[in-house]
Amino acid sequence: MLAASALGDRKAFAELYRETSAKLFAVSLRIVRERQLAEEVLQDSFVSIWNHASDYARAKSAPTTWMAAIVRNRSLDVLRRGAHEVEDVDEALASALVDESAAPARDLERAAEEHSIRDCLGELDADQRQSIALAFFHGLSHSEAAQHLRRPLGTVKTHIRRGLARLKDCLARVGVAGPSR
Amino acid sequence: MKRWTADLKHALAADFVLGTMRGRARRRFEAMAAEDAELSRIRGQWEAFLTPLADRVAPVAPPSRVWKAVEARIAGPRAPKPAGLWSSVAFWRWIGTGFAAASIALLAFTLGNRAPAEPETMLVAVLATPEQVPRIVVEQPRDGMLRLRMVKPWAGMTRNDLELWVIPKEGKPRSLGVVPSDRDGEVRMANMGAMLKDGVAFAISSEPLGGSPTGQPTGKVLCSGAIARGRRA
Repeated sequence: MLAASALGDRKAFAELYRETSAKLFAVSLRIVRERQLAEEVLQDSFVSIWNHASDYARAKSAPTTWMAAIVRNRSLDVLRRGAHEVEDVDEALASALVDESAAPARDLERAAEEHSIRDCLGELDADQRQSIALAFFHGLSHSEAAQHLRRPLGTVKTHIRRGLARLKDCLARVGVAGPSR
Repeated sequence: MKRWTADLKHALAADFVLGTMRGRARRRFEAMAAEDAELSRIRGQWEAFLTPLADRVAPVAPPSRVWKAVEARIAGPRAPKPAGLWSSVAFWRWIGTGFAAASIALLAFTLGNRAPAEPETMLVAVLATPEQVPRIVVEQPRDGMLRLRMVKPWAGMTRNDLELWVIPKEGKPRSLGVVPSDRDGEVRMANMGAMLKDGVAFAISSEPLGGSPTGQPTGKVLCSGAIARGRRA
């Protein structure tokens, strides 16, 4: 579908939008936390996807990953959030990270990839995992995550840094996309 | 380019993809990744690691106005190129060899000598790189619309978008939006007249995907060119 979009096929692009926009909107909404801003992000992202569909092949990742990365990146770029707005962060999601039953497995390959990431996340300390989940799903900065967790900034930074380093080692070990590649 | 260790590159890329890197640091990172293939590759790995997790978020249907807006922004038929000098790539390359000042005079000449049957353009600009290689021709065939003809497309622009700016005689550049890097494009705006008023040049900058987050150019200016106005403009 993305390939057809690359050829300028508007119908295929409309189809792609229908299939992916709800997921991508949710991803942006969690980060920017304002519907209007998330709508703008989604709009800009899809224009960008349309413009870049033809050179997507070079990105060497699953189409959904490529599109989600565009939306996440755009969301983080437009973020102008005060530190006071981070209170009702959804804890369930952080714990769901290691919950096997919560994994949708529509796409076998992606499911396998996600499985490895989940296993690797399972190897982290709870603190490390929680800090990473807060940053990833809710777009919290180091200081926002620290405020939310009521931990010193340095501690949270260390959790994230060490967590990411362990994640990297683990992912390389299970061969998802090893850093040595 | 600074010499960074692989570990440092991994740490920065992870910070970028995770989202804990913010604001100007993100744009600096993007600029560096655009020039450092290894850093760009490492960022790709972190995206492949982490981004699939986003699939867990429960979907939320966006309102239909979002698709309508997207559709409007990608609208516009890709009209068949008229034959002749105007659209000839060889012609523009040739111009590029002795470009600088002569080009504007030549453009004015070309504008003035068009056959009456041809659609008149209200303005035209040839955007060239700092090395004077023409990349894009911007024309305004009618109110509310600009047409961009690719003279020499950019290859492999997966990580950046091109953004078109009009530079007014005085004041800050005004964004005309993101434009394709590898094919002809169009810009449609209801307030095009106001946007182009006092415009003396167009420029194209390299921006993060989706366009400049600040409303002003943040990346490298890839090409630019003075605006020559036709009879109706």
